[in-house]
Amino acid sequence: MLIILLFNEMSLSGPQHCLKLKCSECLLNEVDSHYCPMCLENMSSSEAKLKKNRCGNCFDCPSCGHTLTTRATNVAISDPDDPGKSTPKKMYYMACGFCRWTTRDVAIDDKTVASGGWEDIENTHAKKIQSLLDYYHELALNEKAERERKKYVRRRSHLYYAASMDKYGMVTVAVKKKIGAMSNVSIKENEETTTQITTEEKISDFPALPDDFFTTPLELSKVTTITQRLASPEFQPTITNDLYPKRKHLLIRKSMRCKECEHNLIKPEMNPLSIKFKIQLVIMHHIPEVRLMAPMEFRFKKELKVVLLLINPVVHNTTVSLLPVDKESDSFSTAKIELPKKEVVLARRDDAAIYDDATQMHQEFKDEKNVVAFRKANKLGVIIKVTPLIQEGDVKVSFVLRHDYRNTAVVLPMENQEPQISWLQHRIFLNLGRIHKSK
Amino acid sequence: MPLYEGVIYSGDKNIVVLDIGAAYTKCGIAGETGPRCIIPSHIKKDDQIVKLWDFNNEEELYENLKEFLFMIYFRHLLVNPKDRRMVISESLLCPSKFRDTLARVLFRHFEVGSIMFGTSHLLALTAIGVNTGLVMDVGYTETLLIPVYEGIPVIKAIQSLPIASQAIHKKLEDQLKEKATVNTAGGCKPMSSMPDCLNEQILEDIKVRCCFVTSLERAKQIQEVTVYGADSNKLPAAVPSVKFPLDGSQVLNIDGTIREHTCEILFEQDNEENSVPTLVLDALLKCPIDMRLELADNIVVTGGTAMLPGFHHRLQLELYDQLKKPKYQNKLVIKKFQFHKLFSKENYTSWLGGAMYGALETLATRSVSRDVYLTAGKLTDWCCIAEEMETEKEEKVKLKNR
Ligand SMILES: [Zn+2]
Ligand SMILES: [Zn+2]
Ligand SMILES: [Zn+2]
Ligand SMILES: [Zn+2]
Repeated sequence: MLIILLFNEMSLSGPQHCLKLKCSECLLNEVDSHYCPMCLENMSSSEAKLKKNRCGNCFDCPSCGHTLTTRATNVAISDPDDPGKSTPKKMYYMACGFCRWTTRDVAIDDKTVASGGWEDIENTHAKKIQSLLDYYHELALNEKAERERKKYVRRRSHLYYAASMDKYGMVTVAVKKKIGAMSNVSIKENEETTTQITTEEKISDFPALPDDFFTTPLELSKVTTITQRLASPEFQPTITNDLYPKRKHLLIRKSMRCKECEHNLIKPEMNPLSIKFKIQLVIMHHIPEVRLMAPMEFRFKKELKVVLLLINPVVHNTTVSLLPVDKESDSFSTAKIELPKKEVVLARRDDAAIYDDATQMHQEFKDEKNVVAFRKANKLGVIIKVTPLIQEGDVKVSFVLRHDYRNTAVVLPMENQEPQISWLQHRIFLNLGRIHKSK
Repeated sequence: MPLYEGVIYSGDKNIVVLDIGAAYTKCGIAGETGPRCIIPSHIKKDDQIVKLWDFNNEEELYENLKEFLFMIYFRHLLVNPKDRRMVISESLLCPSKFRDTLARVLFRHFEVGSIMFGTSHLLALTAIGVNTGLVMDVGYTETLLIPVYEGIPVIKAIQSLPIASQAIHKKLEDQLKEKATVNTAGGCKPMSSMPDCLNEQILEDIKVRCCFVTSLERAKQIQEVTVYGADSNKLPAAVPSVKFPLDGSQVLNIDGTIREHTCEILFEQDNEENSVPTLVLDALLKCPIDMRLELADNIVVTGGTAMLPGFHHRLQLELYDQLKKPKYQNKLVIKKFQFHKLFSKENYTSWLGGAMYGALETLATRSVSRDVYLTAGKLTDWCCIAEEMETEKEEKVKLKNR
């Protein structure tokens, strides 16, 4: 599993703030903005809800799912005043460039306008569902009023159900309670309602399959696939003649928020074309990266010098120290390590100055040979000594990485104010590789 | 756009309604007339399909549900889960392991505001506006029938049979392997020599596009041959065969008998004389006498499998036909079976009931809030019936296998 580590913003203005590393697990995803992947038009969330997350202008092919394009044709329209004369008129239809499906295939009339003329099909049950909902709404209101009234009277609705069950001798005492809770789901009928439901319809005779069903060869191309049916869940057309253009489904840009302090860690720009972020507090931009230089041959109880590569991602020099962890709280390590006693300084990241003279830098930072293996730009090789304490398996070590950090991600309240410097500590877990098997 | 706009009476926005079925998950927004999407109840892990209901332990299920729900929220519904109410339709027999884990993911990871758990069979009744009915759900792994009287499930009369879509797919596969052929570039080969050319999705496509539920008359002739071993010349004239295109240039030749015989699995009786239609009669037998007429008058059939062409007609004829059997003849005095018309497709009826519930002011009083959940640390155990039923079922299976 890939874990994106994120570093939380520290707000100087807000009362709460935290400077913790967060993984995708402890972040809250949020819908930031809706947009159409085809025309890249943004849509407000209330409009997106109203349009059921679908674009007003773009359509998908109901047959294969690709985007439909609008095509124009000239149709000769006979003049009502002069039947002998006809005038050409531009008409529009939609076609799929991938599977060649067109709106004409399913006898949808061409439109006189290029866009906006395509109506949606209506759910034939909508009215009945609505009147049923109205009825329930009234019941719910009654129930609510009754609950208010009976606030001080003994509750008996559940008992009532249990008792009515008993009449039929169906329930044991043990299940009564559960049944009572289950009746939760049924709305209590109430005679005081004014709305009458007229939706109920019964069928006592289902039609048989037509006789020619058994003799006429099946034209497979006229029967929809399960994917085509479910692409339109409310209607689920079974024959291709009932396919209808689908409005393009919107996509979203997500933002991520810290679950603890509720600050945004990642927030995209509004412009759907932009891949930039307004706020992006990803660990790789803020915290020194720790890497292993090369695979080593570890042997039981044999001390080895291991070079760790530290990379500074920020444009300031960063002071780093490696600290041991409590032996008691360390159930991870399988080797003893010796860490550099002194702190080291990571040079700032300077994209322009990659040709800096290495020796000059060594002098500048007063590197000690037994601690620093090499230095190049914002990279530093630090030596740690590792003694495996196991005879086989993975050599694992753990330590604390402590460094200073200037928060530049937040806008400072005043100009020229120095950014606040904090000291951050991260527990690092390293798997250095397997014990070398000697034969 | 003259789109039907969802109606919410409580003023709450974007209440998610979710029905995680064994094969497909229906999800959408409360107050709307249909689900926004119906997607397979699975996730993809390294190109492998992992079904939600196939889990080894709760941790695995937790991770899978997390991924699945993330997809539902941020790819399909595009709404924020945090602090929002939601409605979940679940089977009466939903294992508590599943619902507990689902609640844990929703409350702890997605931080939803509240959940109302509704029993799918009761929600199906809600969706048609009645309180009493014999609700049969022909789903993927099983057919589950629950009589509901004035809003209360008649627990002792519940009937279930592990015969539904999955059994149809299995039978279809078996028959195709037995007699179908494939036209390939290298000539016509028996399908059995190409075991990899079928998968569940293709089987399902063959089922919905080619198969159907035949008439009772033809079925009797067919069963005479396939079940009781009569000579195959007793079969009715076969329906036309179909050439079904597979990947590439391969074409599967599907015999007319396969098209017609496959769905018979729903109606063939097992050793205990159980079939999908007899579940209705057996349930009625187990219900108190004074409920029976009313229940027979209010049959509700839901579940995707019931969408097969010919299913309803056949079910209805079977009921009258089976009623003449000695097992029921003198015990069930029923003249007429009546079925409710649905305001939805069969495969999302329960979802629609949930969507109606979610739109009402009373939603909050029927929901578990996150606060209550976090304080209690778990869902209150109002429904252990599922487990009781499970053990009962296991005992039955044991008896059967003896
Ligand atoms: Zn975390
Ligand atoms: Zn668009
Ligand atoms: Zn297409
Ligand atoms: Zn925070």
